[in-house]
Amino acid sequence: MGTTRLLTIAGFAATLLTGTAYAAPVDLTLWHMEQPPHRVQRMKELLDEFNAAHPDIQVKQEPQSWGEVYAKAPAAFAAGNGPDLLFTIPDFTTVLKGIDAVVPVDDLVKDLDAKHGFVPATLAPYKYDDHVWAVPAYNMAISLWYRNSVLKAAGVEVPKTWSEWLAAAEKLSTDGKYGIGLPANKQLYTDQTVYSFMVNSGAADIYKDDGSIDFDKPATVNAYDFYSKLAKLSPADNGSWTWGEAEACFASNTCGMILQFGVINTYDTQAEGDAADLGVAPVPHADDQGESATISYSNAIMLTTKDEAKQAAAKVFLAWLMEPANYGRFLTMEPGLFLPVTGDGAKAESFWSDKTVTKYKGQVETMISNSQHGKLFGFTTGKVFPSIGAISAQNVIAETLQHIVVDGQSAADAVKGGQARMSEIAKK
Amino acid sequence: MKNTTLAFLFVSPALLFLLAILGWPLVQAVILSFQDVGVIGSQGQYVGLANYSAILGGAGFWRALGRSIVWVLGNAVVQTALALATALILNQKFPGVRIARTWVILTWIVPTVVVVIIWRWLLSSSGGMINPLLIQAGIIERPVGFFATRESAMTTLILINSWRWFPFTALMMLAGLTRIPGDLYEAARIDGAGTFQRFKRITWPLLQPTLLVLGVVGTLLSFNVFDVIWLLTAGGPSGATQTLPVLIYDTAFKGYRLSEAATISVLTSILLMGFAFLATRAMTAQEAAR
Repeated sequence: MGTTRLLTIAGFAATLLTGTAYAAPVDLTLWHMEQPPHRVQRMKELLDEFNAAHPDIQVKQEPQSWGEVYAKAPAAFAAGNGPDLLFTIPDFTTVLKGIDAVVPVDDLVKDLDAKHGFVPATLAPYKYDDHVWAVPAYNMAISLWYRNSVLKAAGVEVPKTWSEWLAAAEKLSTDGKYGIGLPANKQLYTDQTVYSFMVNSGAADIYKDDGSIDFDKPATVNAYDFYSKLAKLSPADNGSWTWGEAEACFASNTCGMILQFGVINTYDTQAEGDAADLGVAPVPHADDQGESATISYSNAIMLTTKDEAKQAAAKVFLAWLMEPANYGRFLTMEPGLFLPVTGDGAKAESFWSDKTVTKYKGQVETMISNSQHGKLFGFTTGKVFPSIGAISAQNVIAETLQHIVVDGQSAADAVKGGQARMSEIAKK
Repeated sequence: MKNTTLAFLFVSPALLFLLAILGWPLVQAVILSFQDVGVIGSQGQYVGLANYSAILGGAGFWRALGRSIVWVLGNAVVQTALALATALILNQKFPGVRIARTWVILTWIVPTVVVVIIWRWLLSSSGGMINPLLIQAGIIERPVGFFATRESAMTTLILINSWRWFPFTALMMLAGLTRIPGDLYEAARIDGAGTFQRFKRITWPLLQPTLLVLGVVGTLLSFNVFDVIWLLTAGGPSGATQTLPVLIYDTAFKGYRLSEAATISVLTSILLMGFAFLATRAMTAQEAAR
């Protein structure tokens, strides 16, 4: 075989190999914490569709649990086995940013914002240290849930203020029924419900501008004091409640009212499913406050790969996901729980045409309206301090409540202890 | 080649494997305890004995140790009582004893998560079965939260864990009981000894070696229980069930103080090794005296 022919064959082979390498898809691993099977199935449908439309990118999902991911993700990144895309909430981002696992997404968010219009409050918790650290994906806000028929039978109006709320809960507490179901567990759900009281008594900020803790103040004491009064009207096992127990208590009509992000799916599939009877309202506010607020969680997606090809591929995927035609189907993986974070997403046909969303349209509109007044502990002053990750992970807000309902401390003493605990964590 | 050398060669791969998967993490834990690593994956500086000084000087470690001791003793008492009663019954001859001996182990083979779900549901004050039963029996007037107070949470946990583990202990005791020669009971019966006398003079003394071994193994196993506690109370309410293993997890993965958690782990290991050493010596001395 002549040299020329050999070189030609070698060149041809090299071209083929290069072409093959070029055609190899970029693999992306996505960790999310939406474990229920129907959510995993909806993600699979979306990913299959994306992968089919983008043969050069293959995204696979690996569902995780919120209970474990705080420990698992840092360990995975330390071992070099972390995901490329990771769902997050604001305080979790601070933890991973602290170990340099998160890549800023400024340009992508700027482009997406120009195209779809992010709700500013959903973006704010991820904008600090001169960068944007995650792409907002969906919003969740706590509301007050009740049955219209139950309130009517008891002769009470939907409460707007705390005094009305206490009166309503007392009236709804009858034999075998609990006026309200509030958790008292040292767990994230309790952090969220307690903070829903704090924002409604004017105690939204837990940090001062200089990063010192601003927890011990009359408004916080007032919130804890009132919470502990209502907690007495809740089932006795509320000390071990998470979100599921509260929903079950409401679905079984044992609890007259609960504070929850959403109950629509449970109510529709495991209770009466009567859309006209399901009531949702803003969380009542303290009598001296003008209007209701709530806790809202802007869930987002972080870019966690240093590989530039993967970063580019991930941006293509995120841009595709936020397109209204796809975004609505993403949100309705749990109908009536995940709320839109973009202007065009809030109007998307793919969202409003979902049969559950259609059935509970009024409730979903109220939830979206409530979410506009949402705040999140540690992310209210425009500055973000890294210690919020540890304060949240250690459930100090819920722990403070337990000192009142379990140890019998006064609200003032418990809040004082909470301030000391948060300050100790912030110091480390 | 000598037999001992050959035996050592055969055993050495397994030993090396054990050393790699147990020894190396232990060494890492000791190294970590002299540093100030926070989140897994972050870097830390050498801080000498600062972590040991902080842990031993603070109240958290000692309180958790106290709860661990209450936990171990509570489990030991309840499990021994339940297991001994069960073993004595299963040591009798009655129709179906073979089936009973097999099925008594059921609660032990049920996965922890299932045990937790079952008990959470049974004990729920809104829909559980236990509260209505207690109300009907006139023991309580209104539903109570079994994990709502410090005392009831620890007691409930001990009862649930004992319910799960006593079949294992019962089978060990049954094995001990079957080793007691039957002619001893026969002779005692001829001498006029009643049931209680036979138990006191024959069963109890001859069961001591089994009880001692179970005491040591049971203490070590109970001390390290994490899953049941974490899944049922996560150390609450208000830290009332935060034993040392729960404190270690809390410190490492919720407090993001990995080095402090490693320090508590090392201290706990030293405590347990000390206990095992003393218990083994006591058992050896007792065997020698026999």
